[in-house]
Amino acid sequence: MQTQFPPAAQDALAAVAAVDLVKVYGSGDTAVRALDGVTVGFTRAQFTAIMGPSGSGKSTLMHCLAGLDTATAGQALLGGTDLTRQSDRVLTRVRRERIGFIFQSFNLLPQLTAEQNILLPLELAGRKPDRHLFNHLTEALGITARLSHRPGELSGGQQQRVAVARALISRPEVVFADEPTGNLDSRSGAEVLLFLRNSVRELGQTVVMVTHDPGAAAYADRVVLLADGKVAGEIDRPDHGSVTEALRSLAVQR
Amino acid sequence: MSAVLRTQLRGVARRPARLLLTGLAVLVVSFVVYATVLAQEITKRSVLDGLSGTPAAVDLVARKGTLTTAELAAIGKLPGVAEAAGRMDAGGQIGNEYLQIVADPSTGPLAVSHLVSGRLATGPAEIAVSPRTVERLGLKPGTTAKVSLRFDKDGKPEAPTSLTVVGVVTGRDDYGFQAYASEPAVARMSGSDALNQIDVRLAPGADADGVRQQIDALVAAGVSKVKDGERPEVATGSQVRLEEARAKAKDVDSLFAVIGLFVAIAVVAAGLVAASTFRIVFAQRMRQLALLRAVGAGRGGITWSLAAEGALTGLVTGLAGVLLALGAGQLVPRVVAAFGPHVASPGLPIAPALLTVLLAVVLTVVAVVAPAFTAGKVSPLEALRGAGVTAGRRDIGKARWVFGLLLVVAAGLVAAYVFQGLPGPNPKDYNPSINLLAIVASGGLAFLALIALGPVLVRPVLAVLGTPVRRSGPVGRLAAGGVGGAPRRAAAVSVVVALGVTLISGCLVGGESIRVLADRQSSLSAPADYELTTNDDPIPATAVGQLQGRSELTHVVPYRRLAVTAGNGTDLQAVDVQLAAVPRLAGLDVAAGRIADLGPGKVVISAFMADNQGLHVGDKVTVVAGKRSMPLTVAAELSDVAPLASSMIIYPADMTRLGAPAGYSGLLADQAVAGEKGRSDGRRALTDAVGNHPWAINVLADQRDQINSELTILLAIALGLIGLTVLIAVVGVGTTTALSVVERVRESGLLRAVGLSRGALRAMLTTESALYGVIGAGLGLVLGVPYAWLAVQALGVNAPLTLPVGQLAVVFVILVLLTAAAGVLPARRAAKVSPVVALGAE
Repeated sequence: MQTQFPPAAQDALAAVAAVDLVKVYGSGDTAVRALDGVTVGFTRAQFTAIMGPSGSGKSTLMHCLAGLDTATAGQALLGGTDLTRQSDRVLTRVRRERIGFIFQSFNLLPQLTAEQNILLPLELAGRKPDRHLFNHLTEALGITARLSHRPGELSGGQQQRVAVARALISRPEVVFADEPTGNLDSRSGAEVLLFLRNSVRELGQTVVMVTHDPGAAAYADRVVLLADGKVAGEIDRPDHGSVTEALRSLAVQR
Repeated sequence: MSAVLRTQLRGVARRPARLLLTGLAVLVVSFVVYATVLAQEITKRSVLDGLSGTPAAVDLVARKGTLTTAELAAIGKLPGVAEAAGRMDAGGQIGNEYLQIVADPSTGPLAVSHLVSGRLATGPAEIAVSPRTVERLGLKPGTTAKVSLRFDKDGKPEAPTSLTVVGVVTGRDDYGFQAYASEPAVARMSGSDALNQIDVRLAPGADADGVRQQIDALVAAGVSKVKDGERPEVATGSQVRLEEARAKAKDVDSLFAVIGLFVAIAVVAAGLVAASTFRIVFAQRMRQLALLRAVGAGRGGITWSLAAEGALTGLVTGLAGVLLALGAGQLVPRVVAAFGPHVASPGLPIAPALLTVLLAVVLTVVAVVAPAFTAGKVSPLEALRGAGVTAGRRDIGKARWVFGLLLVVAAGLVAAYVFQGLPGPNPKDYNPSINLLAIVASGGLAFLALIALGPVLVRPVLAVLGTPVRRSGPVGRLAAGGVGGAPRRAAAVSVVVALGVTLISGCLVGGESIRVLADRQSSLSAPADYELTTNDDPIPATAVGQLQGRSELTHVVPYRRLAVTAGNGTDLQAVDVQLAAVPRLAGLDVAAGRIADLGPGKVVISAFMADNQGLHVGDKVTVVAGKRSMPLTVAAELSDVAPLASSMIIYPADMTRLGAPAGYSGLLADQAVAGEKGRSDGRRALTDAVGNHPWAINVLADQRDQINSELTILLAIALGLIGLTVLIAVVGVGTTTALSVVERVRESGLLRAVGLSRGALRAMLTTESALYGVIGAGLGLVLGVPYAWLAVQALGVNAPLTLPVGQLAVVFVILVLLTAAAGVLPARRAAKVSPVVALGAE
């Protein structure tokens, strides 16, 4: 599995990479190629945003890279492991130990308190929580006072911050965020994005975020543009303007 | 049809399987109800078809009056009569044994007994016996028995007649003392020409009415010749058979009335399950319903359409249940017939079928009302909220709290009323029916309270009973969290499980108490397998020694009995049986003192004697027999009567000093080998010893066995019927788990995404449904055991309180396993869904 990596994946700094990744839904006439040979690497300790119009395959790419979904062809490499070739058991371990998730709709378990939700992945892995990290995360996210509350008693922003803490508590190699600000007001959204950016800067965390909001993408170090299941460009050090411009040109090309 | 209803029905049409799943409990209960109706029908018809006492060939019957062999002969000669059989029986005595000799042709269409081996009894001194009689009385074909058939005015047997056993026949009854002989032979044996009944078979083509009138005239003429004669009636054979069958069918009906009671409880359980299922189904559709509200549907419209959907569910599942039961009802007789016995087909009772479907619809509508109202209250805003996982309500409303607590208080008051009215140890004129009714009422109220307060009880119960599960690891913790996080759902299911367990545990506890009571009483009335008694011919020590040497017997213990007076002059019976030598008496219950202290100068007294003489352990009492007397010290006071119908047990040497003769008045013995053969062998050993002595043999073990087997059968039937409720409860757990898996597919996806393996997810969901069982079974035991104790006390039979821990533990484990099994399939399904699909699900 360690042979013949294309340049993007050979990059020693790449925490996660897709090599010629193909994902086809359905078969025959109704087959849809959600990913059509995507090759892209995501650098360690970098905040990368994946952008593109709806149906461009950005969520599918993330699901395949995170071991949530299986690819039709190609490789999804996480630190040298090809996730497309692994059994469900291995994928479960990978998700538990090496990947963190942040969802658009928070997805906290309603019956657990905020603290129990945060510690859930560690508990499933049978690992002892790092109290130091836990304190650091909850303080930085401003949820220390809400730890004994259940999700139903928290605002959307608070719930998402709990979800962020849950994603980071296991010190994952990569954090995947799927439209993390989609259900938040702009202020709560900004707080979450700032925190993610700080975790990259200060803790060396690798973050991959799918979004369609140019404002959110502007927090990232780099933007990968996707269109029709293919990589359609990249922007380094993006800002609101450059991202909007790139998206507009994508739309014009189509 | 309203737009709302149309939307709902379209949803139903798209997933018809879900409709069946929603109404599965209703389907099962409709099946049970209609199957019960069919079973009753089958039983009735089978009984009607089966052996009635009167053979099918009998056309006319003369009975209930004065009939003699003279009429029999006259009737036999009437034109049109093919055959006439006189029914009579004679009672005889072989040694101390009773023998019933029944008159029967044993061949031909009028026979009620049929030859098995040997030949028919035709001669005047010939009998054929039933198989058990061969075994019990040792009357093998070919043997000759001396039977006393006539008795003098004092009831003493006259000289016995020698009868030869020529064959073995089977008849309707076989109690182990039946013999059959020809009618003239029986008449000769008994020395009486009186008949119980005359059965007549007509020649083909005979005029039935004509013959009947002739017989009527004949028997009327016969009566006029006898003083105080009673004129018999002449009935047709079919009339008599119908009467006999009706009497049996009446038994069937009353049996099914009891079964109906248990079925009714199962119906209630199904209603509870259906209500909780609807609640879950509607909760799943909350967003869709909110959307309908947002686009302008009224609250009432939503409620009505949901209720209509419930009625449809009841109709479909009720119909399905009835059809399944009908299929089973037609199939069972055929399957059984393949194995031999004939069982009637139940036919097609239309009215009960329609009623069952109606019951299903009504039950479902009743069950759907509350959930439909709750669902109708959905805020249109729900539709606009995110699809995030939202927790269900954990608490209950104030009104429900108040209602529930009122029920608890009411149940407690009724129970307290029963408690203060409980009878003492030896109640007089105590009527338990009011107290028992009150207990049922209190139990019902307590159960309603459980339904009302269930959601708030789940978490404390879970905290206690769920601890091992929670300690077992993250999966157990998640499962416990899942159950505790949705207490309403958990309560709804657990309550049904609790209903089943309450009934089962109540039955087991009550049954065990009664069994201990029966054991205790039978050890007093039947302390050994056999008892040999005599009045005026004492049993010598040599005979006892011989019996003790027989390998067929063990624990041969002789005793003497003496009529004495004590203290205030009351006449009492004293025995000197060695209690320690009789296993069943060794553990006799004492109220005070120790039986082992019985020695020279000591006495063990019954509760009656203690009461009557005002005696306590350590007191002295003077026992007088004739002219002798001696003071005895009370060593122990029994908690009930003393064995062998005596009031005191004294030391053998003291008995001799009081003037008891050396010969024994009786002896107790046990069979050495268990089983029917061992019992017959032991009995024969005793019979050998008796010889020509007027000693009576009692097989006490037979009585005890009968009581035991009756208790066991009763308990088995009751538990089987309660099984219906348990079945519904398990169905409820299964559907709830299945539906909640659908409801929580997002949650499953999330858990998979954060690293829960497929197997662990399966384990978690299965554990959750097992926890429903744990909670339900726990609540059921808490309710069932005390109420059973109260009921046992209220019976006023002085039964002990027992706690059959082993049996209850088995029930608990089985229930938990069953509910876990109910969760296995849904859990497998949930674990198969990919996390991406699950997270995308709305």
